[in-house]
Amino acid sequence: MSLKVDRDGMAFTFKGGMLPMTVMELTSADPERIREQLAGKLSQSPAFFQHTPVVLSVEQLDEPHLALERICAVCRAHKLLPVAVRGGTDPVKQSSWALGLGWFPPQEAGRPRTLESVPTADEPVEEAPVVDEPAPAAGAVGRIYRGTVRSGQQVTAPEGDLVVVGAVNAGAEVLAGGSVHVYGALRGRALAGIHGDAGAAIFCRELRAELLSVAGNYKRLEDIDPRLLGTGVQVRLDHDQLGIAPLD
Amino acid sequence: MAKIIVVTSGKGGVGKTTSAAAIATGLALRGQKTAVIDFDVGLRNLDLIMGCERRVVYDLVNVIQGEAGLNQALIRDKRVDNLHILPASQTRDKDALTLEGVETVLNTLNKDFDYIVCDSPAGIERGAQLAMYFADEAIVVTNPEVSSVRDSDRILGLLSSKTRRAERGEEPIKEHLLITRYNPNRVDSGDMLNLEDIQEILAIKLVGLIPESEAVLRASNQGVPVTHDDQSDAGQAYSDTVARLMEEDVPLRFHQYQKKGLLSRMFGGNRR
Repeated sequence: MSLKVDRDGMAFTFKGGMLPMTVMELTSADPERIREQLAGKLSQSPAFFQHTPVVLSVEQLDEPHLALERICAVCRAHKLLPVAVRGGTDPVKQSSWALGLGWFPPQEAGRPRTLESVPTADEPVEEAPVVDEPAPAAGAVGRIYRGTVRSGQQVTAPEGDLVVVGAVNAGAEVLAGGSVHVYGALRGRALAGIHGDAGAAIFCRELRAELLSVAGNYKRLEDIDPRLLGTGVQVRLDHDQLGIAPLD
Repeated sequence: MAKIIVVTSGKGGVGKTTSAAAIATGLALRGQKTAVIDFDVGLRNLDLIMGCERRVVYDLVNVIQGEAGLNQALIRDKRVDNLHILPASQTRDKDALTLEGVETVLNTLNKDFDYIVCDSPAGIERGAQLAMYFADEAIVVTNPEVSSVRDSDRILGLLSSKTRRAERGEEPIKEHLLITRYNPNRVDSGDMLNLEDIQEILAIKLVGLIPESEAVLRASNQGVPVTHDDQSDAGQAYSDTVARLMEEDVPLRFHQYQKKGLLSRMFGGNRR
């Protein structure tokens, strides 16, 4: 018997993947109210409703039974494709499966820490080991990078904060488990709280970023208020919305 | 001990070969024994710019593969005594170059020359990485436009990580910014990035600024490096650049818009 797998004979392979997904956070279980609101949104941005796959999040609803089938029908009528349900009671889970939808556990359980329990961005920097050499210092507490982060380069602090003493240029990427501090122009991508820490933040002296992200919530350059460009800002999560505020 | 200088940019068509030829010529004119090597295997151009294309017999690949000696492949420049050209092969591709082969060639040249100028191919692949690997200094050629600046930024990242000095943790490569095709007129009107913006983004020291000039195209087509045209603005700007490379303090020229007077408007002005 041969253990060799004939590549041509394979019908598929399983691969892990991370895809961007729109979550539709339901605050009402009434299909009629959902229909009204969707109709309004559809007229505002028709481009969004192009058979867009969505995950229906029912975490904020406190109802054991949902008219899931009708909600799905309303969505489909507005060219949204429900692919899964997140949260809810056991009957909700069962009816999701019955409708051929996937089911995800509520998000809160997966979140490691909440805003209050996290030491905020201001303090851990001093604890980080300060290294004089230009080479980046890696450590569990954080990392200080001195110099320009250039296009194509990626600087990561998997645990703790990342401090960049210099600029982050367009096409560069800086990531941190905690907060990202840039003492210079931020022209590339900055991702803070990459493990889901919603209390993380991004600070920079001159905002020109291609992308800002805190705990997976992101804004592209196009989404940023042009008046804030070129100024010193802090970026943090406020009720799942990315807020950008001037530092001064 | 020769100083190895790579002329690189990431982006194509910004003036790497023109600059390599002009700078090597300028160094030789100042009495420095200089070799200029074309690393653009498969798309060789340096021999044309240097005006020695009819005298190419052997090339860099022949030397690396042991088919010819280095002295057989080196072409002596007709105009300047101290200048030698090592052409690239037009019939091979960049896979014909090996790290060991390049090292052997550079080590041999190291004994006899003051400067070795490596003309890098465009891109960030093997050819470009081999051209920069052994460098002591790098001249990053940038045009005043956003895509060129971003590619230069990428190359600067590679210079600080994918070179021998970086891998051995030695003193980093000395990086110089050379801005070419600068047109102060178009900078003023907002068509081109200005000098300060480019310097701010790339954050390295400016070694020269070459104005957009008809003299450059003329020089390329005639096969005479523009440094020889000491009446032209570009020729003078390259001479200034060479002086700065040799650590002389030369004030910057040609970066400001000059209004033409009546006479120069009538008679076409100085040679551009």
